[in-house]
Amino acid sequence: MSERMGIEELISSAAASAEASARRAPSRLKSRIYSRLVREQAANGPLLSLSDTKTSGGALCIFEELVSVAPVGDAVKAKNCCRICHARVVAERIERAPIYWPHCPYVRFQNR
Amino acid sequence: MGRELTPAVPSVHERDQALADAVGRKDRKASAEFVQEHADSVYAYVLARLRPNAVDVEDVTQEVFLAAWRCIGDYRGSSSLKAWLFGIARHKVEDYYRAKVRSSDLEEADAIAGAGLQLDSALDERRLRERSLAVLDRLPEQYRLLLKWRYWEQRETAGIAVALGRTPKAVERMLARARERFRREWEGAS
Repeated sequence: MSERMGIEELISSAAASAEASARRAPSRLKSRIYSRLVREQAANGPLLSLSDTKTSGGALCIFEELVSVAPVGDAVKAKNCCRICHARVVAERIERAPIYWPHCPYVRFQNR
Repeated sequence: MGRELTPAVPSVHERDQALADAVGRKDRKASAEFVQEHADSVYAYVLARLRPNAVDVEDVTQEVFLAAWRCIGDYRGSSSLKAWLFGIARHKVEDYYRAKVRSSDLEEADAIAGAGLQLDSALDERRLRERSLAVLDRLPEQYRLLLKWRYWEQRETAGIAVALGRTPKAVERMLARARERFRREWEGAS
């Protein structure tokens, strides 16, 4: 490394250091992004119903399973159950949230 | 979760296309997969450019995903989903640079010809980069963002001038002021 260096060169070189020191996204942020994404999807018409989600390979959490087999119409099955679930509320606020439901997206977002 | 999106072993882009299609169908599990798979890399990209402003990093990262959802139908699988998302992230970061630098009252200075820095020969390349980054982090936001816009994104002065609604000469002078501030911070830290 030369003992004298242009400022432009030094500034440019810092980019590599910034990329190298990058961290994983906080789980709170992933949770908030997912919640907002699904909220936007739901605002423009129904979500894919839970039955169709399951048919196309999506594993449902216990809460979603209950809704999917309940004697309710497709309109209810297409609603975003996570809106009223405590796992979402906790995951959006606490890093490494103490939630452990199988197949819950908010559990998967946790950086454990 | 290991969810199979296609039955055979797909190429990277076929799998990405299947994921994008599923997100477009408002499949909530696919949407979770989309966030889980790409949030770390998009966050890292935005963080490197907006640091140390952590709140804005999170907001811009979220905007990238929402913008991606709004135009997910445009994804054709000709590049990886990650590369496509990075394209959106680049635009969002540039919007951020433009808004922050435009709204600031950045002083101009005459260009300083051939300005260089005396370096401590004991510093290896890695430490030099780290120190440069630390100095950048300490600069006032408008200087920091302008320097990154020019030297990290490799944007020509003329392009920045158009984005800011200024003349290229004015942007050159703003850059001169920002470099001068960087030099003073560097020397102050020595």
